[in-house]
Formats: sequence, structure tokens, C-alpha cells
Amino acid sequence: MTLHAQVRTRLGSLHLDCDLSVESDVTVAVLGPNGAGKTTLLRIVAGLIPVDEGRVEVDGTVFEDTATRTWLTPEARRVGFVFQNHGLFPHLSVLDNVAFGLRARGVDRATAHARANEWLERVDLTRHVASRPSALSGGESQRAALARVLVTDPEILLLDEPLAAVDATGRLELRRALRRHLATFKGVRLVVTHDPLEAASLAERVVVLEDGRITQEGRFTDVSSRPRSAWIARMAGLNLLRGVVSDGSILVDDGSRLTVATAIEGPVLATIQPRAVALYRQAPDGSPRNVLRCTVAGVDPEGDRWRIRLEGPFPLVAEVTPAAAAELRLAEGGEVFAVVKATEIDVYSV
Amino acid sequence: MTRGVTRRPLLGLLIPAALAVLFIALPLIGLLVHVDWSNLPSQLVSTDVLTALRLSIECSLIAVAIALVIGVPLAYLLARTSLPGRRLIRGLVTLPLVLPPVVGGIALQAALGRTTPIGTVLDHFGIVLPFSTAGAAIAEAFVGFPFLVITVEAGLRQRDDHFEEVAATLGARPWRRFWQVTMPLAAPSIAAGAALCWARALGEFGATITFAGSFPGTTETLPIAAYSSFEGSGQVGEAITLSLLLLAISVLVLVVLRDRWLGALR
Repeated sequence: MTLHAQVRTRLGSLHLDCDLSVESDVTVAVLGPNGAGKTTLLRIVAGLIPVDEGRVEVDGTVFEDTATRTWLTPEARRVGFVFQNHGLFPHLSVLDNVAFGLRARGVDRATAHARANEWLERVDLTRHVASRPSALSGGESQRAALARVLVTDPEILLLDEPLAAVDATGRLELRRALRRHLATFKGVRLVVTHDPLEAASLAERVVVLEDGRITQEGRFTDVSSRPRSAWIARMAGLNLLRGVVSDGSILVDDGSRLTVATAIEGPVLATIQPRAVALYRQAPDGSPRNVLRCTVAGVDPEGDRWRIRLEGPFPLVAEVTPAAAAELRLAEGGEVFAVVKATEIDVYSV
Repeated sequence: MTRGVTRRPLLGLLIPAALAVLFIALPLIGLLVHVDWSNLPSQLVSTDVLTALRLSIECSLIAVAIALVIGVPLAYLLARTSLPGRRLIRGLVTLPLVLPPVVGGIALQAALGRTTPIGTVLDHFGIVLPFSTAGAAIAEAFVGFPFLVITVEAGLRQRDDHFEEVAATLGARPWRRFWQVTMPLAAPSIAAGAALCWARALGEFGATITFAGSFPGTTETLPIAAYSSFEGSGQVGEAITLSLLLLAISVLVLVVLRDRWLGALR
């Protein structure tokens, strides 16, 4: 089963323009910063908002096509949407919430309740069958919302920030439960999140959506180790440079030049691990070739690794131990020399 | 104990504020003082009072029913759709709130009176609204239904359409969404709006007496009966009894609705 969505639409300041294909064999995460259009994309697939121009299709069933003026109402699409705030009906019991979709599709009350009960057992909520949603914890309400959707046997499962409304203590366990349910689900699975950790733990494939456009897609490890945008690099904790390689050195976009160890030529992206950036008070002797004169823009103590934000020819983040930071007397506005070995710069073609 | 600087009352404001409380309370106290408590039970069960009470309840309940049937759909459309001319309609709905009730009565007479086109058609079917019980109910509905529309619309707006969207993705068609999701969630504001509408209809005087007159047993509701006995027959005692009855009903509505309708409008 494959979901194809070609979408071009304007919504306030958002201009969503992307072409997405999701196969049912893996869980796909749409990862991106807030306001990138991730939720809008889900709402389009579910039929809650129309597109200005485009086509949404699942295995030959056209949900929407502006060219042929085709439009299926949300209730006619077999899409299960787990909303970020879960959207459990406050006036119905948990059981009636879970049975709602079946009742709406004409299943009689007894059968609907029986199947709802089955699912409530699967998500471990049997003791809350008669409860109102307001009595549930964040994790329980998430599981109820998931059961409510899965009981209707949808072709497509959409999860919007599934762990956002859950407190940190319940998150780990819920993530595990979620992964289990996602694994047994046969249809297309699309998870929206702004949290790379969540994307990595729930999905096999990641689509990065930034400012309405897909900037990168692939396996999470590939995306995070070879980021193609500043946002992903920051999420992955990497320094990202853009430039052109010739004769063993990279001419960075801002004009500085770094020696690199690569056979690639031409336009590239390059990453540097923050811990590979060494800091010195004075320009070091010897022959390290990549020495950058920087000022300290900020010091962020994070446990036993402190992140030092540097302003130099280009912005750079270094990671040092608290002891080293003290010895270097690092303070905002101070001058330091950053040294990066050529072999520590990972270069890849654009 | 420290207290906020704004918590200390300004003495200069205390006097007018106390006057305001007295202004509201004094007439009510005056009413209670003049109640002839010994004759109250017999007056309350007198045929005149009971007839007026029965008529009042009848008319006001019909008014509420009319308001519910036409007011809830209007409130829904105003809250949920981008109906063209929404602002105009909303203004129109609010008009009976500020319109002198007598003007409402005259307007109803001008629109539904026996000699008007609509009145002629109704007459043809044997229906006469002016100076009839049905006319009294319509006058009360006219004045009371804005309360319902405004309260229900506010309630619907407070709960945006999120749950209706959820229901749609779960396969519910529009009418099912309306009856199973929208209406149950709006129930508290509908109840509050209906109660306000009812209270207003129950106390309605100007539009009713103008459109329906004051015929004992047909259109003479409690407020009209109170006014008639106060003004016409000089039976101040009965007027006070009737007023006390209306006051008691008002207080009851207020107590029942205190949280509900304040919540819906907040």
C-alpha cells in the first residue's frame, strides 16, 4: 500500500509545497521545526483542509485531485487520525469513545462495544472502560485515542506529536507501547514530530519538513549523520558547513578555507562534531592547518560536557569538559583559537 | 499579613457603592415589607392568581420551545459557518435586547396583525395571533430568543470545531456529528440559554400587552395581571403577591444558573 501526496497550499504565512510518498512497509516520521507545516500535511491527508493544488491518493483511491475536482470527505477516507491533544470526546465514556467510529460506520451497539472492549484490553485500559476521558492520565488518554482509531481498521494511520501531551515519566513506556502497535499495524503509518529522538525511536524512515518543503528524507541515521539543513544539523548536534571542495580544501560559503581529507570535488556539505573542535588560549604551535580565531558567544554548561558557542569566520559549536573550560577561562566575548583536524571534517556531496 | 495595594478599599468609593447596593435592595425590601403575609396563602391559591400563573408558564414554555427550534440552528450557523451577512444577522438578533418591548409588540402587530398579508393568510386557516394566547407566546419568544442565541453561540464558539473534526475522521457524517458531538457538547450552554430565555419570557410585559392585550385567562400573564391589579382595580395587595411570586421565580433561576450561564458567557 502506498500513500502519494502532492500538495501545494497556502495557509496564513505557511506555504506548503511537497511531494510525499509513504509505503506501508515502514513507519515514516515527518520531522521538522514548529510551524513547518507537519500538522497541516496530516490534516490534508485526513481531508480536514483542502489543498490549493495537488493530489492525494492511496493505491488508486483518489482522496483529492484538484485537476479533476475530486474530493472525498474525511468520513469517506479510511484514515485514522490520532490528534496531538488526543481529542477524546469529553461527554462520552472511554468505551463509547472507542466504539464511536464503529457506530458511525453502522456497526450495531453490541458488536461495537465488544470490539471496543477488545481493543481497550489490548492497550491495557480495561479498568477505565466506564471512565470519562478527564479521568485518564496523558499516557492513558493517548492509548485510548490510539485504540479508538485502530478499532476502525483504517488504511492509513496518522499520529500527530504522539508523545507531546504525555509527561516525561510516562513517555518511555508509551513510546514502547506505541512502537509495538505501529509494528502490528498493516497500513501506511505516518508520525509527525518535532523531536528527533521520537522520530528515531518510532520510525524507520524520516522525512524532514522545513518551512513547507521537504529538505531531506531517508533512514534516520543517514539523515542525522549527513544533514542537509542547518536545522537537522543543530538537532543532531553537529556543525554544518556549506562550500566547494577543490585540491584538498573546502572554500566555505563565507570565504574562509579549511583543509579537508576527501577525494570529493565540487559543491559539498561538511559536518564537524563539536567534540572534535579543540580550543586554545593562544594560537597553537606546530602545524595544525585549520586554526580559526573566534570569540566566545555563549557558554552552555550541560553536565560533564559544556557547549561553547563561537563566532568566527562562521558560527561553530565546541564541546569541552568543565575543567578545560575553567582552565581556558572561557567567558562570553573572550578570544579563543579553534582547531579542527582535517580528518575530523566529514565531507559529502550536495 | 501583607495585602496588595489594590485590596485596600478607597473610602470615597465606598459610599456610592453602598448606595448602589441599597438602590437594588431597597425596592425588594419594600416589596417584602408590604406583603400581607397572613393573607398570602389564600391569595396565592386564588383563581385569578393561579390562572395568571398557569398562563404565564404555558406561554413562556411555548416561547422557549419556539426559541429552541429556531434559535439553536441559527446559533450553530453563526458560530460554525462563514454565512454571508453574519454580522448583520448577529446585530439583528441582538436588537430585541435593546428594543423597547412596546416597539416589539407594535412591530409584531404590524407584521402579523389581522389586516396584514400574513395575518390574512393565517386568518384563512382560522389562526388569529393578535390578542390570543399563541400571540402572547410569540411576543415572549420575540423578546426572549436573543438570550438563547447569544448564549448558545458563545458556548459553541468556546468549544471550537475540533471535536467535530475528530468525529469526521472517525467516519461520522455531518448529521451524526451534529447530534452526537456538537449538541451534547453544547448542552450546558443550550440549557443556560433556554433558562435565560424562559426567565425573560416569564417577565415579559410590554410586547405581550401590545400584541396580545390583557384578557384574563387568555393573555393576562403574571406581570400583566400584577400591573392590572396595581393600576386598575386598586388591589395593591394582589399586585404585591403576584410580584412576590415573580421575584421568587427570578431568584430561583438566578441560583440555578449562577455558575452555568456566567460560565457560558465568560
